Amino acid sequence: MAPHVVIAPLVVALATAILTLLARSNGRLVRALSALGGLGYAVAAAALLSAVAPLGASRTLVYEVSAWRAPFGIVLVADALSTFMLGLTAVVSLAAVVYSILYVDAFGQRLSYHPLYHFMVVGVTGSFLTGDIFNLFVWFEVMLMSSYILVVFYSGAEHTRAALQYVVLNLLGSAVMLLAIGGLYATTGTLNMADIARRLGDPAAYGVAVVPVLGLSAVLFAVFALKAGLAPFHFWVPDAYRAAPAPVTAMLAGVVKKVGVYAIVRLYFTVFAAASLPVSLPGIGGDAALAFFGPVLFAMAAASILFGGVGAVSRDDMDGVLAYSSIGQVGFIALPLAVGATVPGVRELAVAAAVVYAFNHGLAKSLLFLASGTVKTVFDTERFGDLGGIAPRAPVLAAGFLLGALALIGVPPLSGFFGKFLVFDTAARAFAVDAAGAGAAIALALVGAVFTIAYFTRAWNAVFWGAPTDVVGAALPARWTPREPGVGEAVADGGERPDRADGGASVDDGAAPGSHPGMIPVSTVREAELAGQVVVIAALALAIVGFGIGFEALFGAAEAAARAALDTGAYVDAVDPGTAAALEVGH
Amino acid sequence: MTEFVLAGVLGTLFALGTYLVLRRDVVRVVWGVSIISQAANVYLVTMGGVEGAAPITGGHVGETLPTDPLVQALVLTAIVIGFGTTALALVLTYRVYQEHGTIDMYELGSTGGER
Repeated sequence: MAPHVVIAPLVVALATAILTLLARSNGRLVRALSALGGLGYAVAAAALLSAVAPLGASRTLVYEVSAWRAPFGIVLVADALSTFMLGLTAVVSLAAVVYSILYVDAFGQRLSYHPLYHFMVVGVTGSFLTGDIFNLFVWFEVMLMSSYILVVFYSGAEHTRAALQYVVLNLLGSAVMLLAIGGLYATTGTLNMADIARRLGDPAAYGVAVVPVLGLSAVLFAVFALKAGLAPFHFWVPDAYRAAPAPVTAMLAGVVKKVGVYAIVRLYFTVFAAASLPVSLPGIGGDAALAFFGPVLFAMAAASILFGGVGAVSRDDMDGVLAYSSIGQVGFIALPLAVGATVPGVRELAVAAAVVYAFNHGLAKSLLFLASGTVKTVFDTERFGDLGGIAPRAPVLAAGFLLGALALIGVPPLSGFFGKFLVFDTAARAFAVDAAGAGAAIALALVGAVFTIAYFTRAWNAVFWGAPTDVVGAALPARWTPREPGVGEAVADGGERPDRADGGASVDDGAAPGSHPGMIPVSTVREAELAGQVVVIAALALAIVGFGIGFEALFGAAEAAARAALDTGAYVDAVDPGTAAALEVGH
Repeated sequence: MTEFVLAGVLGTLFALGTYLVLRRDVVRVVWGVSIISQAANVYLVTMGGVEGAAPITGGHVGETLPTDPLVQALVLTAIVIGFGTTALALVLTYRVYQEHGTIDMYELGSTGGER
C-alpha cells in the first residue's frame, strides 16, 4: 500500500510549475522543463492508474494530508473515476504542452506561459483528486487564476474584453460556490465529501436536516454548470475560447470543462445521492436528490445541444464553430447523466456513457482547436470567407481535422462512435422501461447528431475542400506536409516523431527527404515548428483511432469509473472506515 | 442579537453587490464582485457563530460553547484568494481601458467581438 502515489501527479505538475517559474530567464531550459513536466505528469498519472486498478480490479486509494484522519484532515481520494479523468488530462496536457512549445511565440514562453499552464494543470489535478468540498473550491481557484491570465495572454482588444467577461462571471461563480459550501457545512457539519454522504445517509443519527441540502446543492450545481459551460451558463465560452492561445483553448475545452462534469458526477451521483429526501415540485417528484437533478440536467442538456448546434452552424470562423460546438457537446455529456439520474436502472451505463463521451470530446476537441491554431498561424486568418482548399495543400493537417470532426460526429472506427452509441444506448434502455422523457432524450440526441454533422460538414467544405483561395495559395503555393506526401503514410509517421519535434528549432527537422517544403515562404525554423504542430495533431488523431480500435479497454475503465461513482458505501468506507456504520443507499 | 445584525448586513451587502454588478461601469462591476465575495465571507463567519468562547481546547470553562474555528480558517483562505482575484480584476480593467479607451460595458459590447 503506497498511498503516496495518489499525490504523484499533483507533485509533478506543481514541481514543473515552480521550476519553469524559477528558470524563466532561460527560454530553452523552460521549454525543456515544461515538456519533461508534461511527460512526467503522464507517467505519474499512469502509475496512479495502475495502483488504483491493478489487474482489472478497482480500488480506492486515500491520501491523508499530514496524516490527519479523514473527517478532520483534508484527504485526496483516487478512485476509478478520478483516475479516468486524470488519464484524459495527461493525454491532452502532454499534446497541448508540446504544441505550446511550437506555437506560442518565444517572448510569451519566456514571460509566463509555462508556469501558468502547469499551475492550471495543478488545479485540474487537485479538483479531480480532492475528497474535501472546500478543498475543491481552492483547487477551482488555482485552476481559474491561471486560466484567467492565459485567456488574456495576448492582451489585445478582444482578448481583454473576453477575459473581463470570463473573470467577472467566474468570480461571481466562486462567491456563489463559497456560499453553497458554507451552507452545506452549516447543515451537515462537515466538509469531507465521504462524511457528508455518511451523514446524509443516516440524517437522524447525526441530526442533519436533509431538505436544505437540496437547495444548497442546487446552488452549487449552478457553479459546476458554469464551469462546464452548460446552457444557460455558457455565455463566456465562445469569447474566451476565441481569445485564448490555441493550446490553452484545447486544454480549456478538453480538460478544464470536464472538471465541472466530474464535480457533477462526484457530488451528485456519489455524495448527495446518499440522501433520501422527498422531492415534490411541480412536475418533479421522487425520493432522492437525483430525482430533482435529472429533469434539471435534461433541460440544461437540451438547451446546450440546441443552442450550441444553432450557434455552431451559423458561425463564420473555425474557432467560433468549435467553441459553440463544445457547448453542444457538453450537452451530450449531460444528456446520459440526466437520463441516469431519472432512471436508476440505467444509471451505471449512463455514467459510463458520460465519461466515455467526455474522454472522446476531450481528445477530439483539443485536436480540432490545435488544428485551428495551425491554420491561424499559417494563413493568418480563420474566417471561412478567406479560407478554402487547404486539403490538397496540407493533407496531413486536413486529415487530422477530418478525423477529429468524424470522431465528434461519431463514425464507427473512431472512439467518438462509441461515445455517441452509449448515449443512444442509455436513452434507448430508459425508453425500453417506459421512463418519462426517454423518448425526448432520443429525439434530442438525434437532433444534436444532425447539427454536429451539419456544422462540421460546413466547416470542412469551407476550409479544407474545393480549390485553394488566394490567401491559401499565397501562403502555401505548393503541397506541404511535414514528411511524406501521402496522407495515410504521413499520419502513420506522426506517432513516432514527437520526440524529434520536441527539439523544435533544429533546422532540417521539417525538410525531410522526399518532400519539398522549401516552397513555403516562411523561415526554416518556423517551418520546423509548423511541422511539429502537425505532428502533434497527427498524434492526437492516432490516439482517437487507437482508442476506437482498442475501445474494450477504455470501456472497461469507464465502467469501473461508473461503478466507483455510484458506490457511495465503498467510497465512504475507503475514505473513513472509522465508524463503518451500515450505509443504506438505494441504487 | 449579533447574528440578526449580521443577517441584515449580509442582505445589504448582497443587494449592494448585485446593484453594482449590474452597472455599466466596469470598475463598479469589479467593486460589486468583490463586495459579493466579501459578503460570502461574512456569511461564512456568521455560520460558525459569533458569540461563543475562543476556540482553544481546554481553555474554556463554564457554559459558553466555543465558536467553530473551522469557518474562520475557511474565510482566511477565501480572503487571500479574493485579494488575488480582485487585484487581477482591477489590472484587467485598466488593461481593458488601455485597449478600448472606455470602461463602459455597452461601448465595450459594441466595439469588440466579431460575432
